[in-house]
Amino acid sequence: MSIILSIPFLVFLPLIISALIISPIFTSNEIVVRRFAKGVCAFHFLYTILMLGFFNAQNPYISEIHFMGMDWIQSLGIKFIFKADSVSMILCALTSFVFFVAIIASKFNIRTNHKFYYSMQFLLMSAILGIFTAGDMFLFFLFWELEMIPAYFLIAEKWSEPANIEFYNDNKKSAIKFILFTFFGSMVMLLGILLLHYYNMSSGGTLSASFSDIFANGIPLKIQILISTCLLIGFGVKLPIIPLHSWLPDAHTNAATPVSMVLAGILLKTGGYGIFRFNYQLMPDAFKVIVPVLAILALINIIYTAFVAYAQIDIKRIIAYSSISNMGLVLLGLCAINKIGLSASIFHMVSHGLVTCGLFMIAGIIYLRYKDRNINTLSGIAANMPRLYGFAVLIILASIGVPLFAPFVSEILTIIGAMNSDFSFVIKCTALLSLPLLILSSCYMLKFLHNGFFGGEINEKINDISVHEFIVLASILGGLVLFGLFPNVILEMIGI
Amino acid sequence: MLNDIFNILLPHIAIGEFIILLMILGIFMPLRQFKYSRLVSILGIVTAIVLLSTVQTEPQYFGFRNSVMSDSYTLLFDFIILSCGFLCAILSRNIIYSIKRHAYTYQAILLAGILGAMNIVSANDFLTLFVSMELMGFSIYFLIAAAKGYYSKEAAFKYLITSAVSSGVFLFGVSYLYGITGSLNFSVIYEYVTENETSLLYSVSSILIALGLISKLAILPFANWVVDVYKGCESSTLAYLSTIPKLAVFGIVCRLLVFPLGSSFELTFVIAILSLITAFWANTYAIRENNVKAILACSSAANSSYIMLAASLVSVYNLSTVIFYLICYVIINIAAFAYLNIYNDKNPMDVNSFAGIFYKNHGLTGAYAIAILGLAGIPITSGFIAKIYLFTAIVKSGLIFVPFLLTLLMLMVFALFYYLKILLPMFEKCDKNTDVPTLKAVFSQKFVLVSCAIIIILIGICPEKLIELCRFIAYNI
Repeated sequence: MSIILSIPFLVFLPLIISALIISPIFTSNEIVVRRFAKGVCAFHFLYTILMLGFFNAQNPYISEIHFMGMDWIQSLGIKFIFKADSVSMILCALTSFVFFVAIIASKFNIRTNHKFYYSMQFLLMSAILGIFTAGDMFLFFLFWELEMIPAYFLIAEKWSEPANIEFYNDNKKSAIKFILFTFFGSMVMLLGILLLHYYNMSSGGTLSASFSDIFANGIPLKIQILISTCLLIGFGVKLPIIPLHSWLPDAHTNAATPVSMVLAGILLKTGGYGIFRFNYQLMPDAFKVIVPVLAILALINIIYTAFVAYAQIDIKRIIAYSSISNMGLVLLGLCAINKIGLSASIFHMVSHGLVTCGLFMIAGIIYLRYKDRNINTLSGIAANMPRLYGFAVLIILASIGVPLFAPFVSEILTIIGAMNSDFSFVIKCTALLSLPLLILSSCYMLKFLHNGFFGGEINEKINDISVHEFIVLASILGGLVLFGLFPNVILEMIGI
Repeated sequence: MLNDIFNILLPHIAIGEFIILLMILGIFMPLRQFKYSRLVSILGIVTAIVLLSTVQTEPQYFGFRNSVMSDSYTLLFDFIILSCGFLCAILSRNIIYSIKRHAYTYQAILLAGILGAMNIVSANDFLTLFVSMELMGFSIYFLIAAAKGYYSKEAAFKYLITSAVSSGVFLFGVSYLYGITGSLNFSVIYEYVTENETSLLYSVSSILIALGLISKLAILPFANWVVDVYKGCESSTLAYLSTIPKLAVFGIVCRLLVFPLGSSFELTFVIAILSLITAFWANTYAIRENNVKAILACSSAANSSYIMLAASLVSVYNLSTVIFYLICYVIINIAAFAYLNIYNDKNPMDVNSFAGIFYKNHGLTGAYAIAILGLAGIPITSGFIAKIYLFTAIVKSGLIFVPFLLTLLMLMVFALFYYLKILLPMFEKCDKNTDVPTLKAVFSQKFVLVSCAIIIILIGICPEKLIELCRFIAYNI
């Protein structure tokens, strides 16, 4: 069984497909490329589900690759090792799903340069899967850096029309902003990883960078806090934590719809996963020290960005800021340092991934028809596109946190987890203070619904959603309802 | 004496013979046969590489009254220098086509520079070191000036003046050291330093010597030549200028830091601070530059400073990282300049003049992109491994150096910005009206670029063999 279900296959399949699509031997026929990409994604999703089905918490998937009979960098103890526990597997399944729907959604949004687009999507997919399954710090860092290149190109190109010649159009600007922020974060993170690698060895550990060989207990607490802070800055850029967030709204707003879906649905979760894997698991002592500060940052994330989102008039910007707000909730769940908080946090990553994917899809559909994203000028969508209206109401209700949908469970569980935190008084206060989120999120989301969808007159030229869009929205909604009704599917699997 | 020749100097002598051969051929060959000059010099370098197998390395061998030496360390550096020389000689096609009459002389001087570089690494005596440094410096001066046009002359003159000043500083330091120890020989000085207590004068002299040496690496205070010289230089000469002097001078600086100058704490401190300032200067200076060669000049200064910082925190482990970084860096640099050579120096070197070039020349531009990503330290290239390996050395040196490392890492973000400035216009989609140049490359140029790109990726994926070699060399110094 272990030969068929292997993590390297899961990670490197998209990489190989990416190379295949970009290579000159592959056809440049738009339809063939898209169908091929869809087929591969469907296969990949089924494969991930299969792996998830055979998953056994006592016996996580581990596989190691050797080069010419040696480790990757033997003299530094760096191994090319993949290890997937339940959290990794859940996030891998989410990744696979989001890419699947994003590639279905690409049909109407991508007009030029198909080969390059699909190749970059698969490269990004491979890098993100690598981040979720890496079993070695430096391997993790490799995928972390690798992910920047496809993400840059995906954000920078205007896929819907021939690109502008001048260098600094909006897309390029925000892509450069994204890449510089991320690189800044990853450089600070590299410092943390190097320090952890060195001090782990010098305080009696072995020369190894595998997660399973790192025991931070022997390292002096001050250095642990230094390392932990460095790592947090790195992950804080991706999550994002508030002072490091300013790349996100620009990147999400200017990117094409499927790219926004991928960015908000998956890319942000790599930050949360990093905090869980490094700060939470490897250095619990230092994490306990910085948790009060982190909880306050999470609170600022939640409340401040909710207000900012209320002030926006661009639909995509509203959704982008709501993502930051929700990521604050993920952070709060991790800060609780207990079982409920942690599993709620992971669960919220999944449910928010689905919700935000759906919201960006809706924004993309509206933009495609109206060429406008301003909620003050938009009106009458409900009358023109009744089916979209139905989906939009359900998904927006889900994002607000109405029962029956997955975000309700995860938000409530996060706050319960934080309230139950017997660790610091600050966390309990934060949990209480973050309750207004539930009201604020309904404020900005209902403003979007109210301003955009109602009123207006019927326009004959506007078509309702097509089959592709229907499938995307329906599958997302299906996922939300499934996890809303049976949250135990995920919660039991996490079972940390 | 004959023993010495057969044990150490055969490769050096082979290069010397080929210099004389080229000079003679330059007089007697008819003008239209200028193309063969390149073949002759390549032949010379290959001969020298083959003759490297005769060099005795185990145990260390000292010859000519202890003025030259050989061990596995010098052998490795000789090999890398000769390989780089081989690639640079291949790349010199464009320039010998433009200066036909002097092609043979050009190749002779190219070989002379290589000879100087090899001699620098195997020097065991400050006199040998000085003479070889001047040989290399003057050769490079002529190589720069050989290209046609006003800017090459200006660049050559700037290089000459900087070399002259730094040689003066170097000699001044050597004279102090001679006054203290009574000898110019590394071994004798090392013995003296380990047995006697060192004075402040010793530190001053070692700092002066180091300053004189590192001017070739474009580390402040002697770094202001680098941008102008690179701008005015022909790209095959740049491939030469940015690799061979660097290899030679780092080779000898590492040895000096381990042995005769190693006892000076002040020297370590001064070099570390200087390299940090250089890194800051180079990375911030490059942001406002728009010329590709100028950006690569700043990147070369910045990379020297990273290596120098690691080298100044002397330990055997650091030495292995320095050697590894140098090897990776040299390969990447040659690939970058090989592409510029194919692109042709007559075209404008502004970053925007490369716009859209990827869509007409996939393979070559892709290889160049790999090289630039390697300089930026993006994964799957050797640059990524090299940076990580180098930084582990700085972390190992102690908690005091963490702020240094943090500064370097922040400067890397600046660096990424200017590398992107080179890289991104090439992937722009242009109108059909703008004419994007189609690159015409002969086989030899393609060979250099593509083989370097393949090596970059190979080292990036499985670096272990090379790291092991570097560690072996470093532990045997």
